[in-house]
Amino acid sequence: MPRGIELSTRDDHWAKSMARLKSVAVDAVLLTGAGLMIELLVVAFSGRRSPAGMLLGAEDILDLLHYAWITAGAVVLAILWNLLSGWLGASPGRALVRGIPERERDIPWTHTLRGWFTILFIELTFFTGWLITEVDLPTFLTKFSKASDIVRGLVHPSGAVLHQGVLLLVQTIFLAFMATAFAIPAAFAISFLAARNLTRGSALSRLLYTATRTVMNLVRAVEPLVWALIFISWVGIGPFAGVLALWVHSVAALTKLYSEQIESIDPGPVEAIMATGASTLQVIRYGVVPQVIPPFLSFTIYRWDINVRMSTIIGFVGGGGIGYILKPRVDLGEWGEVGTLVLLIAVTVWLMDIVSARIRERIV
Amino acid sequence: MPGFVGPAVAIRVEGLSKVFPGGVRALSDIDLEVREGEFLVVVGLSGSGKSTLLRCINRLVDPTAGRIWIFQREITGAQGAELRRLRRQIAMIFQQFNLVRRHSVLDNVLSGSLGRARLLPSLFLRYPAEDRRLAHEALERVGLRDRPAARADALSGGQQQRVAIARALLQKPKIILADEPVASLDPALRHSLMRHIEALNRDEGLTVVCSLHDVDLVKRYATRLVALREGRLVWEGQPDQFDRRTYREIYGTDAEPASNAMA
Ligand SMILES: Nc1ncnc2c1ncn2[C@@H]1O[C@H](COP(=O)(O)OP(=O)(O)OP(=O)(O)O)[C@@H](O)[C@H]1O
Ligand SMILES: [Mg+2]
Repeated sequence: MPRGIELSTRDDHWAKSMARLKSVAVDAVLLTGAGLMIELLVVAFSGRRSPAGMLLGAEDILDLLHYAWITAGAVVLAILWNLLSGWLGASPGRALVRGIPERERDIPWTHTLRGWFTILFIELTFFTGWLITEVDLPTFLTKFSKASDIVRGLVHPSGAVLHQGVLLLVQTIFLAFMATAFAIPAAFAISFLAARNLTRGSALSRLLYTATRTVMNLVRAVEPLVWALIFISWVGIGPFAGVLALWVHSVAALTKLYSEQIESIDPGPVEAIMATGASTLQVIRYGVVPQVIPPFLSFTIYRWDINVRMSTIIGFVGGGGIGYILKPRVDLGEWGEVGTLVLLIAVTVWLMDIVSARIRERIV
Repeated sequence: MPGFVGPAVAIRVEGLSKVFPGGVRALSDIDLEVREGEFLVVVGLSGSGKSTLLRCINRLVDPTAGRIWIFQREITGAQGAELRRLRRQIAMIFQQFNLVRRHSVLDNVLSGSLGRARLLPSLFLRYPAEDRRLAHEALERVGLRDRPAARADALSGGQQQRVAIARALLQKPKIILADEPVASLDPALRHSLMRHIEALNRDEGLTVVCSLHDVDLVKRYATRLVALREGRLVWEGQPDQFDRRTYREIYGTDAEPASNAMA
């Protein structure tokens, strides 16, 4: 046997074992979730204990132990299902994780154990969600009168804040613009490190790729409002804090969009430039950049659009823009003035939406 | 034979194998020597490994095993500046042309000189006057003198491939790798394009390694032939030995030559 083939079968074997493990893990998580939800529903409807109090009280330790029991049970079930998948039909994990040979019988999904489990799981999730989010339809349908003041104010906007509102609206749009403008060069540079197809070369570049991706995902996971709080204590209350907050978030978001674009380019020109003996920078300049500029522009305008939306509320916490005067009026119940400001915001967002869609249409 | 020195060996391939991640064995233990000035044509069924072989020679694909020398200098294992220096001697022409679509024709031709260009000016698409003159000359040679400013993707397929040839010229290579250079073109244009490549081989003495499908073209342009089948080198010979029987051997018994060139 030639060397390469042995090597590849060993790799395959390892990959298959990993996939099997992943499949069991996925099944265990799903079964644990189902178990916990069933328990919650049973407890809630037997009326013994309110679902919100589950982790409080003297029986805490006992309860934790009991969660562990549910989890252990789910793991056992998951392993069994995976081992007996030939007989029980593929488990959800097997269906989700790629790379395991799936011996699926040729029957409609409503006749498989997996199909039944999926239906049960979705229904459990819905009813548990109903309980946890305290859905209360009767109140929703009968108590509208309490909110009628606000609605009346909103449809009778007052002119008192119109001037100040427009001024701050202009600030809002510029705030979004500056955040986007500052984000472009940073995201552009970082996105090349976050593109898989450009970072396969060495161990160092792969490490950089993983590090960049991780950091950017974390940054993106933190809401701009939270970033605003951080920057307000850094540079003080005002629009600049808002610019910085939206900037950080935009860099992370644009990096993701940019790098995904880089990953989907046509490799042909890249190879053609490489074949001339060009260096890495030249390959990027000639092979990559011309292909990604139009989509980058389009993403950037889209991002500006999103930033305008976000900058209307960033003032709620002191980040400048129109939200800054909106918040106190909400607190004081000046619904007419709130109505004016909300209307201004709505019109702006609506216009930005149209304009950005038009421009993007033209570019791509 | 003391005193006699034949043409130098341009490309030497020894024990070349390639297994792609996922286990596809594209090349198995290929040995091959290409002498300077040859027009070597590689034939074989789709998937037989022709592209992989060509792309191993300039290291667009990294071989799994085996060694390759370009004019006695080993390219397998070469890294960084050393690899780029070796690549400069090997121009490549692709089936899909692979031009920078949004750049002008002239900029595309000039990009052939990137291997020797100074980094900073080249990043701003600036090139020495000498290379610009060469670029216009190259365009003239392929018959595109009057369209240097057109955007590359505004040209027809045949014109784009001629731009790609001009780009290869600007590289001042010693070897040209052409991977099915005419397969995406109108059959009527194929000979005119192949003649441009032939001219480089005959007039400039460039070594050409070219993969082709079309039997007419194979017999007309090759000075020597090799055939691949499932990643192995199964046949080697002169174009006039490429008859019906060898054709069946290479392509399998079900295959029939598309033309009557073999009669
Ligand atoms: N990047 C890749 N990853 C995995 N497998 C590949 C890759 N490139 C080629 N292969 C496989 O290697 C084998 C040889 O492919 P190659 O492209 O060299 O054939 P070819 O002779 O050029 O075919 P064609 O005439 O269709 O261009 C094929 O089985 C192909 O699927
Ligand atoms: Mg090919």
